[in-house]
Amino acid sequence: MSAGSRPYIPGPGERIAKPAGLRRDRRTELRIWWREIDRTLLLIVVLLMGFGSLAVAVASPASAHRLSTSAVQLPDLYFFWMHLRWQFLGFVAMIGASMLPRESARRAGILLGAAMLVALVLVPLVGYEVNGAKRWLRFGFTIQPSEFLKPAFAIGVAWILSWRVRDPHLPVVGISAGVMALVAALLMAQPDFGSTILFAGVWFVLVLLSGIPVKRMGWLMGAGVLCMTATYFLYDNARHRIDAFLGGGTAFDQVDLASRTLLAGGWTGSGMWLGIRKMSLPEAHTDYIFSVIGEEFGLLTCALVVVLYLAFTVRILVRLVNEEDLFTILAAAGLTAQIGGQAFINILVNLQLFPSKGMTLPLISYGGSSTVALCLTVGFLLAITRRNPFLSREKFDWKHALSSGDMQ
Amino acid sequence: MTALSVSTAISSGRVALVNVRQRSLLTARLRVLWVVAGFVLVAIAALARIGILGLFEDAPQSRSLSEALLPPRGEITDRNGVPLARAFPAYALWYNPRALDDGGAPLIKSPAEVARELAHIFPDIDVQDVTRRLASGRPGYLRRRLLPEEANKVQAIGEIALEIPQETERFYPQGSMAAHVLGYVGADGHGKVGMEEVLDKRLRDPAHRGEPAALSIDMRVQGALEDELKSGMLAVDAMGAAGIILDVDSGEVLALASLPAFDPNKIDAAGEKNMFNRVTNQVYELGSTFKPLTVAAAIDAGVVTDLSKRYQANRPLEIGRFKIRDSHTIGDTLNVPETLIHSSNIVTAQIADALGGKALKRTMADLGMNERPYIELPARGFPIWPSGEWPRLRTMTVSYGHGIAVTPLHLASAYAAMVNGGIWRPATLYKVEPGHAPRGRRVFKASTSARMNQLLRMIAVYGTGRKADAPGFRVGGKTGSAEKPGAGGYRHHSLISTFAAAFPMDRPRYVVIVMLDEPKGTAASSYQRTAAWNAAPIVGKVVPRVGPLLGVMPDETRDIDLTDLKPLVHGGEG
Repeated sequence: MSAGSRPYIPGPGERIAKPAGLRRDRRTELRIWWREIDRTLLLIVVLLMGFGSLAVAVASPASAHRLSTSAVQLPDLYFFWMHLRWQFLGFVAMIGASMLPRESARRAGILLGAAMLVALVLVPLVGYEVNGAKRWLRFGFTIQPSEFLKPAFAIGVAWILSWRVRDPHLPVVGISAGVMALVAALLMAQPDFGSTILFAGVWFVLVLLSGIPVKRMGWLMGAGVLCMTATYFLYDNARHRIDAFLGGGTAFDQVDLASRTLLAGGWTGSGMWLGIRKMSLPEAHTDYIFSVIGEEFGLLTCALVVVLYLAFTVRILVRLVNEEDLFTILAAAGLTAQIGGQAFINILVNLQLFPSKGMTLPLISYGGSSTVALCLTVGFLLAITRRNPFLSREKFDWKHALSSGDMQ
Repeated sequence: MTALSVSTAISSGRVALVNVRQRSLLTARLRVLWVVAGFVLVAIAALARIGILGLFEDAPQSRSLSEALLPPRGEITDRNGVPLARAFPAYALWYNPRALDDGGAPLIKSPAEVARELAHIFPDIDVQDVTRRLASGRPGYLRRRLLPEEANKVQAIGEIALEIPQETERFYPQGSMAAHVLGYVGADGHGKVGMEEVLDKRLRDPAHRGEPAALSIDMRVQGALEDELKSGMLAVDAMGAAGIILDVDSGEVLALASLPAFDPNKIDAAGEKNMFNRVTNQVYELGSTFKPLTVAAAIDAGVVTDLSKRYQANRPLEIGRFKIRDSHTIGDTLNVPETLIHSSNIVTAQIADALGGKALKRTMADLGMNERPYIELPARGFPIWPSGEWPRLRTMTVSYGHGIAVTPLHLASAYAAMVNGGIWRPATLYKVEPGHAPRGRRVFKASTSARMNQLLRMIAVYGTGRKADAPGFRVGGKTGSAEKPGAGGYRHHSLISTFAAAFPMDRPRYVVIVMLDEPKGTAASSYQRTAAWNAAPIVGKVVPRVGPLLGVMPDETRDIDLTDLKPLVHGGEG
């Protein structure tokens, strides 16, 4: 063999230096995260959580007194300190989730959803019961799978509906309806009517956004009303609550106590820790915390809370209007509908505009592990709505949207 | 060819897909706005509901258990905690014809039978009237107040239509005592006339009504004053009487009485006539009781430096058409102590003339005579106060208490300032803790005040106030008998007779004012109408009763030192 036939073996040459600008260490990632995240939204969330700490501090003595037994005396601020602990965990979860890239957030949501569906199946088998409803799983600590399913559900259904842009022939609405039916069945087995309504609402918003024709929407609404009526006749607890709402209820039911608490402070409130009515209110730190806020801080503060939640939903939804990815629009709108829906249902219950549902005020109420679940939801929202601020976007074309927006 | 067709199929599929994506996006974006609109609508509904609740729903009355145990209206006590006004539940008898609620007759027995049974329990009711009311079938009170045992008996009749609702009653355990200080509570639940009106807000405030409001009044002193005042008033057949006992160092009113009184437990037309307060609301020309004030002003201003200086007193002073005279000629000349002891208008007018209208007016104004009296009560009379520069004649008449009309309370505060070292303080009906008395304003020098204490004591020892000189209590004071003004001049037989006193004069603690409105000459007053015979004796009886209660013990061995003035007085030693 001649030397010429020897194969060419490249020697170690000069290594090409990586371009400096693309180096990704943790600090750069943080900087990018800070640049891309919706900081206004983060501010609103932090405001709500901070106000939540205050409200739970105020409501804590009432609930601590109520839940104290002769054996166990809860200190006045028991729920406040617990809440701070959960809020800290929740905040870490929120920031952690918001650092995920959009794709990872989607995957995490889907995986979480699958896990929670399994857990939900397990609940009737190994769950334990509180107040006649089996909703909790206990692994050293207790979690309520339906709470963690909430963010996962919105992301999952949004993902299923966004298949349409890959294959227009897939029956995505049908598939999502199947998922919805499964979740509803599992929830009603517990039974948890309030959550079912909330999940159905989120699903409805997602299906609405995915562009089903107006006619079918009418059908869906009809079916919803039918389902509600059926529940009214089949499900005692719901019937009692709806009867109480329509008929005014007895003088000392929860709703009435809540409305007395709400009004006790007038416009400006009785002052922090000076409320009296809250002491006789059951669930002061969870379902009826809005009424406690009314007594201690006044109706004006209540109005401010309503405005904060409205700002939260409107901020996210309006930003979605020039979003270019269908999954992002659907997932973000679904998550927003879930938090905003829960908040407004709770507020309307407290204002006696809606039958009582057993739903907490998200980010404000004391919630235990559900606080973490809600923070996780917000974290996913922050992750999904991340945007490169240096990319310019197509403006939303009203005329075009109105002329051809609705698909036939 | 085949390859080409495949590629077009793929590309046309891609185009379709892009189309679908584009259209889905547009739809989703548009419908996001629907969702926004939905949320905005819900939020507006919530805000509107908050607005409606805040504007139209009354805040529920908060009633915690501890509040439910509070009286509906706070108690009023005297300075020692003796209850003067209390709230307690009482029973009423109410006829409710619908109590049986079966559409039939309201009563089981016949109305006449029920009325007879009621008459057994309440012998004073009119059986016929009650029968008629039971038969009429109209709901109403059959009786406003029941005793508990009466309520039990009514229950035993067994008629469901006879209901015994509990009502809260304002009760004045002392009856009509201190009625003008307390006032009463009207049917609307608000206080009227006295401190009930002044304290109305505080007594109804849940934060404060648990603890009683303490007044400066001392019930025992009030009782003694009212008792003596009433017997004195009846003895001389007077139209009315007023009395006040004032702490000279703090301005606290220990007793305040206006007679005839009313019963706050039972307000009727007769009681309403007596509600006006002679001590704080009615202004009088208080006559000679002003003379010590004039003398004090003159001493204070340095106009009178020598008490032994003698003034002519045997002929009337003529100022223009007007003549100032005394009731009788006392002597050719009088010095200052004699003037006060015998109450000479002529000499007092000369002293005032020397002092001048300006100075006298300023002193009177400093004593608060130019404004409504300082006290918490709502009814306070405005003095008849001559405005502008006082001419000579006005100065002279004011010096002996005419041409100026003030309330007895004005006089009490002025006397307190004169005897306590010269500090004027507002009178108050609130209890003043020791050391918290208002600072007040200086009207007289301390030396003037000391001199006046001697002179007041001399009036009681040697002069017109002898009947007030309770042994051992070192009373000092001045009489005043002023004719009441009527149509066309003064009426000679209608007097306001007053005695303004302080005790003990060696260290004055309390001022006592007693005033009688139109006393008559009766056997009890030796057929005299003047204050020396009717008002002064009342003070002489009140002081021994209230002195020990207030910590002033009778002591014959103590008295104010009069040795330097005694020689100036006829009848005194030397």
